[in-house]
Amino acid sequence: MFVTDIRKEFYDVVANQRVALLVSSDIDALCACKILQALFHCDQIQYTLVPVTGWQDLGTAFLEHKEQFRFFVLINCGANVDLLETLLPDEDSIFFICDTHRPVDVVNVYNDNQIKLLIKQDDDLGVPSYDDIFRDEDEEGDDSGHESDESTEPSGKRRRFEDGAVERRIERQRAKREWEARRREILFDYEQYEYHGTSAAMVIFELAWVLTKDTKDMLWWAIIGLADQWVHDKITNMKYVTDIATLQRHVSRHNHRNEDEENSLSIDCMRISFEYDLRLTLYQHWSLYESIYNSSYTSCNFKLWSLTGQKKLQEFLADMGLPLKQVRQKFNSMDMSIKENLRDVIEESSNKFGMKDIRIQTFGVHFGFKNRFLASDVVHAATALLENTEKDEGAGDNFIKALDCLSRSNLERLHLGINMAKKKLMAIQQTLASCICTNLIVSQGPFLYCYLMEGTPDVKLFSKPMALTLLSKYLLTAFVRSTRNKRCRLLPLIMAAPLDVEKGTVIILGIPPESETSDKKNFFGRAFEKAAESTSSRTLHDHFDTSVIELKMEDRTKFLDALITLLS
Amino acid sequence: MDPSEVEFLAEKEMVKIIPNFSLDKIYLIGGDLGPFNPGLSVGVPLWLALNLKQRQKCRIVPPEWMDVEKLEEIRELERREDTFTPVPSPYYMELTKLLLNHASDNIPKADEIRTLVKDIWDTRIAKLRLSADSFINQQEAHAKLDNLTLMEINTTRTFLLDSLNCMYKLRSNLMPGASKGKSSMDF
Repeated sequence: MFVTDIRKEFYDVVANQRVALLVSSDIDALCACKILQALFHCDQIQYTLVPVTGWQDLGTAFLEHKEQFRFFVLINCGANVDLLETLLPDEDSIFFICDTHRPVDVVNVYNDNQIKLLIKQDDDLGVPSYDDIFRDEDEEGDDSGHESDESTEPSGKRRRFEDGAVERRIERQRAKREWEARRREILFDYEQYEYHGTSAAMVIFELAWVLTKDTKDMLWWAIIGLADQWVHDKITNMKYVTDIATLQRHVSRHNHRNEDEENSLSIDCMRISFEYDLRLTLYQHWSLYESIYNSSYTSCNFKLWSLTGQKKLQEFLADMGLPLKQVRQKFNSMDMSIKENLRDVIEESSNKFGMKDIRIQTFGVHFGFKNRFLASDVVHAATALLENTEKDEGAGDNFIKALDCLSRSNLERLHLGINMAKKKLMAIQQTLASCICTNLIVSQGPFLYCYLMEGTPDVKLFSKPMALTLLSKYLLTAFVRSTRNKRCRLLPLIMAAPLDVEKGTVIILGIPPESETSDKKNFFGRAFEKAAESTSSRTLHDHFDTSVIELKMEDRTKFLDALITLLS
Repeated sequence: MDPSEVEFLAEKEMVKIIPNFSLDKIYLIGGDLGPFNPGLSVGVPLWLALNLKQRQKCRIVPPEWMDVEKLEEIRELERREDTFTPVPSPYYMELTKLLLNHASDNIPKADEIRTLVKDIWDTRIAKLRLSADSFINQQEAHAKLDNLTLMEINTTRTFLLDSLNCMYKLRSNLMPGASKGKSSMDF
């Protein structure tokens, strides 16, 4: 059931209890977890934090902890599947689910005892009404009971009654069949497309605000959660702008407290500001040239994998009057005269070159003399740390490191993350260039398909779902710009990359087609399930995002064929 | 003593806070505290103030002497005089550090205050060094310094005592058998 008063029904309930926090591995969940941890520390609520990467992990974690804990808080996992059936908990376990995955499973919505959803109901959910899906089975019993009573009557009357009874029974069965068919249809429509709702970090920040315990740190984490949804393309532009406006109100409320007295705050205090900043990834921590080269927006618009594209980039820089020497050095060391009007200058020139949206609404933070970060910078750094493939550490260690880099006191870790993110972006750019130039993307009919061979440089980076998602989105945008085939521009993309060479598995991911007004709804979850069933391929649907699966390499071809037949 | 021990002792100083919760009077070994009413200021020891601040249950009111003009006056006075001037609080350094680290958003002009307190500290430590230097050069037996705080004494204590011990040993070995005046170390 949906929780209406998050303070009374969630926070006050767990106030004196021990809680198990099961947190999924994405940045939005990390931010929500940080805010919740800060709240728990204030009120000295004991909790255990368990990072989970998929359904199997969730099941194991639940089994380990179900003896000791009664209350479980699930962040960014668990809403889109019948949780009670998956986990089979005891009667007194209570689950609080704060998840962005939609659609929410109907059993989770209509269970009143054990499942409490910390999700805002005005989130455009479209849950089917109770009567359409659930129905009491008592009417069957009435029917047969009625008939057995009739059997004691004399035969003449009985036959008349029986005829009536039989007709009624046939009527009822027909109605039941119709109802069931309609139910199947409603459920199919409801569960067909997968999409994302309001950021979990924002929901938990609202809880902190209601408790009036919100601080600037928590607000910053909520901003990072929202930026994560935008960077990994999980929400529509409309929703992003609306959520930015909500957060902007909180930001001005906090800033108003600063400017209240004529005495200004210490420079070490955190200042969050609304920025209408450039869409160049990490440009303040890199050189301007590198940033333009490796950001998807500019790279796809200029087509930087081709020679003509690179010439265009040179023209662009010349048009703005920026000398190459300045542009190639670290941003912090650029001339002040150039940095002052940089955003306006770039916006003007990019309009001339056909890039109308080079600026995007976002927030930046500023504390101490040296430290300025944009929300998207932190998202990239944390993702790089979370999906670190360099050393063979467990997923739990990476989770803790990424969680640490979000605090203000761990700046070296954040800078480390930024460096790793730079390497990741350069790898993505190079892979993209080679894929487009060697025409690795083929149209299979109802969708486009691309497979990264094992020997590709940095292919280990792409065995992780978020890095692979970024690559696929950039690839699809680039492909749409570079292909001449009009029909191919409207197709979705399926991306495959080797996951584990020893076990012979590949990771497969599907993303919806690229369009201006895309509603980011992804139907590949159901499609993958059906295709796997029909070909009995050995797949593992372990990720919380149903559009990401693992597959055995040998089953790849028959799986794809099944998909093609299914979707055409 | 360890500087952290001195800081621990400093945490017993009383500061004023404005809580946002209510609680009846509490009876602790060190004394009674409270009652706490939201919006009304109450005096509590520094350790409790910092704990409540970190749990976002109160707002700390800076002590009266933690003000830019007053500290500027004290600094000027310190620079003019040769001896040590009275300090605003016997634990001024620790209080400044703890309050500015944890509650700098409740203290106006925190950066200037940090600089001013550091200036005062530097002047006093310089005077301490000069005085220790002249004490040793003139081989005096007795010295009296007023208005020193525990933290300042703590910075020179181990070094000064050990070096005076060494010098005594060296001097007594120069003249074997003769006891050449004991240098008493009264502070």
